[in-house]
Amino acid sequence: MKEILDSLSQLAGTVSAGELVNGVLRYLFPVLTLVILGRCARSLLLYHKEPEVWAWLVAPNGDRLPVTHWETLLGRAKTCDVVLDYPTISRSHAVLTRYDDGSWTISDVGSKGGITVNGAATSMEVVSQGDKIALGGVEFTLVPITKKQEVIQTEVRTRAGGLIHPFFTLFFLTLFQICAAVNLALESGEDDQAILVAFGVLMLMQWGLFIFMRILRRTGFEVETIAFFLCTLGLSVIASDAPGELTKQLFCIGAGLVVFLFLCWSLRGLERAKKFRYLAAVGGIGLLLINLVFGVEQYGAKNWIYIAGMSFQPSELVKLCFIFVGASTLQRIMTKRNMFLFIAYSAMICGCLVLLSDFGTALIFFVAFLVIAYMRSGSFATIALIVAATGFGGVLALRFKPYILNRFSAWGHVWEDAANTGYQQTRSMMCLASGGLFGLGAGRGWLQYVGASDTDLVFAFIGEEWGLLMAIFMVLAVVCLAAFVVKSASVGRSSFYTIGACAAGAILLVQTMLNVFGTVDLLPLTGVTFPFVSNGGSSMIACWGLLAFIKAADTRQNASVAVKLPSKRDLETDKETT
Amino acid sequence: MRRISNRTIFLLILMGVLVLGVVFFTVRFFLHAGEWVTFPGSPHVYSGSNLSSGKVTDRSGVLLLDSTGDSRVYAEDEAVRRATLHLLGDRYGYISAPILEEYADALVGYSVVNGLYGADRTANTAVLSISAQVQKTALEALSGYHGTVGVYNYKTGEILCAVTSPSYDPDNMPDIEGDQTGAYDGVYLNRFFQTTTVPGSIFKLVTAAAALETLPDITSRTFTCNGTLDVEGDTLVCNGTHGAINLTQALANSCNVVFGQLAMELGPEVLEEYAQKLGITQSLSFDGLTTAAGSFDLTDAENFEIAWAGCGQYNDLINPCQYMTLMGVIANGGQAALPYLMDRVEGGLLTSYEHGKTTTKRVLERSTTDTIAQMMRNNVVNVYGAWQFPDLEVCAKSGTAEVGEGGTSNATFAGFIRDEAYPLAFIVIVEHGGAGSSAAAPIAGKVLNACVEVLSQEKN
Repeated sequence: MKEILDSLSQLAGTVSAGELVNGVLRYLFPVLTLVILGRCARSLLLYHKEPEVWAWLVAPNGDRLPVTHWETLLGRAKTCDVVLDYPTISRSHAVLTRYDDGSWTISDVGSKGGITVNGAATSMEVVSQGDKIALGGVEFTLVPITKKQEVIQTEVRTRAGGLIHPFFTLFFLTLFQICAAVNLALESGEDDQAILVAFGVLMLMQWGLFIFMRILRRTGFEVETIAFFLCTLGLSVIASDAPGELTKQLFCIGAGLVVFLFLCWSLRGLERAKKFRYLAAVGGIGLLLINLVFGVEQYGAKNWIYIAGMSFQPSELVKLCFIFVGASTLQRIMTKRNMFLFIAYSAMICGCLVLLSDFGTALIFFVAFLVIAYMRSGSFATIALIVAATGFGGVLALRFKPYILNRFSAWGHVWEDAANTGYQQTRSMMCLASGGLFGLGAGRGWLQYVGASDTDLVFAFIGEEWGLLMAIFMVLAVVCLAAFVVKSASVGRSSFYTIGACAAGAILLVQTMLNVFGTVDLLPLTGVTFPFVSNGGSSMIACWGLLAFIKAADTRQNASVAVKLPSKRDLETDKETT
Repeated sequence: MRRISNRTIFLLILMGVLVLGVVFFTVRFFLHAGEWVTFPGSPHVYSGSNLSSGKVTDRSGVLLLDSTGDSRVYAEDEAVRRATLHLLGDRYGYISAPILEEYADALVGYSVVNGLYGADRTANTAVLSISAQVQKTALEALSGYHGTVGVYNYKTGEILCAVTSPSYDPDNMPDIEGDQTGAYDGVYLNRFFQTTTVPGSIFKLVTAAAALETLPDITSRTFTCNGTLDVEGDTLVCNGTHGAINLTQALANSCNVVFGQLAMELGPEVLEEYAQKLGITQSLSFDGLTTAAGSFDLTDAENFEIAWAGCGQYNDLINPCQYMTLMGVIANGGQAALPYLMDRVEGGLLTSYEHGKTTTKRVLERSTTDTIAQMMRNNVVNVYGAWQFPDLEVCAKSGTAEVGEGGTSNATFAGFIRDEAYPLAFIVIVEHGGAGSSAAAPIAGKVLNACVEVLSQEKN
């Protein structure tokens, strides 16, 4: 005890205000993070799923079977959304599809018994209230919900953010940001004004978005809060490492928000979203071709272009285009089973990236492709075949161009050549270790002197200055987003949204994986950014775009701006009549 | 939609891989962070090629090394600098300091929880078990000869003396590359830990131990030494003609004829078993050091060679530190403390280190060690002269190890003090020093006296 008192009195005399503040805050930050992420995770992962009912299918025996998706598979198999156990009905018989305007169609998905609507055989037909639909001779009628019922459903379902209020989560995040800004400003010296202003602008942005969402009657803000939390860490990395780039990063967060809102709007109507696919397909390839022609090599990959002094990575935005191209509706998936065009498109994208020597991004696209291909085909065998073929191609490529291998030569034994090929990874691990669990304090690290530390090595950067705990929280934040996608998949409206969200989640996960594992030598260092944290404009914008796809799959009541609500007028007329 | 949502399992797998990878790395972090942080070039703790690793003192608080600043500061006394160089390492990495590397994380004030936070404000201090005074005495007593002197407490394990010669002053480095005289042969080696050497007659203690535990009538036997022993046509020459003698007298006279006969009688299997059991062929590991392993190999040996092997010649090799531990085993009744150098690291609330005692397995029967100890006491009293060690009950065995053709033999001397107050075991190796009892025993005397002085000062 005496020792502790002695060292305390010794400290008090010699320690500056900055160090005292840091001494307290470094333990406070993980606690605040636990509160922020814990609240988000509980809200996103532990909510009670309440399916939306869009129609009833009335069976011959009078049963009213609820139709809970916009795309519903009818058939005898247990994996169908509405199980119709009649011997003449095929295992997968038909898909019932609802459109934005509330109209419905039914399509045959290769059944034996066929479909008739009001007696006429068809492969696809519009159905409306009272039409007689016969599946393999068994007659059903569809009863779509009325506008009024839809309004009531909206009122009755539990609102997102009702139990764990996003306002308080955001309040804790703001507290975190104020502490981080103060801690950084105390350490930085002359840049303190710039840092405080930058964090202030970030807070304005997040509260601005929050209020805007409130105006739009949207109460779910957890996904955005997680993104803003990661942006906060990213901003403090830049504040520590290159305060001059704070403005650029804030500008890109702003641009990311615009892209986010735009995509949310475009995803709100499924018809609109489907139209976007063609634009996206052309745009994606176009961007990469421009990149191939005008690209400038930087850090070994030719994936940069310069426009009016601004550097830019087109491949980041291609991710968004790729998801648009890959996502597909259930009716399409069940009728057009081959994915030839999609495979060709993916091969083209990956090919371009390999030509650009951007192997990390190529790998991200490859995994995203696998996820989409599996979601659409459901066949692990196909996936295994594709992986094997690609692996074979990879081996051949290495055989003919062995210099590619040199880039990965240090992998797995970075400590053996710590001063040269393993320099970045070994410094990363030294700095991670130096930080311990709680870090040396924001702005007090050394890793900033190593190249690409605020992008490729950002996991170690956070580990050194904020501690291993924070670095792990950072990864868990991304995992939480992906887990939410999985959780909400079963109440998704359309497979277009579910596939889109899964692809977005997969891209975020793979980017995190390549970034973190590359830094700590579990994988070769490929120079991939950590979502929302790494310093990089194109990456930041793309990440916010990916977030829109996750938002579009969030069917909790009033949760998402990417999901349509009954109009205000409908709600008001409902109130008047009742 | 149910089918599609079931397929999100792919995303779960990706999440699993990410989480498992992070868990794997976290485990690695907890196991190795201390090594990473002290790896050469680690930004917060290295300046140049030296670790800024706090201070090092001897057991009495004499500062041996201060590496908290930009450059290393060694002991004030030039002789102490020379005598402790091989434990602390030099400035340029010619001589490494495995002990300081082993405890580098504790020395720099590192903890896995707090990292290096606050480590720059508190310099930690390593306290070695050696005594600078004894080190200095030992190096001076070797008076220019190459060799090594080791002393340790067989009850506690603390090494009081681990000196190797030649050495040099790190503050005034000589021109070692250009040296033609051989004065700096093997100067970068720590002979005490890193080398093996021909034991000569001190090895007869191993043969004696094997004989005492294997041949029931051995103590009542009488042997005859005619000065030579014919073995299948080869002649084993003794250092004298000892006539009719018992085992105690044979050890005192270091009779090659008797020990050659005993070795042949015991046979290669038993001898190899005892060499193994007494640790001759094993290496010791402590405080980041691993001693060189000795050798005792009688594969395909002829009887004549077995006879010489029993006398510590043929291809026998011992490591000084390991053999010193064996002396402790004999002194302490068949089981002794294992040696150590790092006593404790002071400073820092979470990071300090303190040595915990470890002992050897039971190696010999108490009756065996008592008999050998009595025989070794007899050596001192009747042959080497108790006057060499006034006031100390020293038990010992000398050796004169022939190394190569023609050159002066190595003098070896090993033993212990049979005294509860000063439980010290020791070994002295003097390369090309001549006869063990005349060249090495006086050095042992001086060093033991210095040790006893230090210990009795500590008691007061």
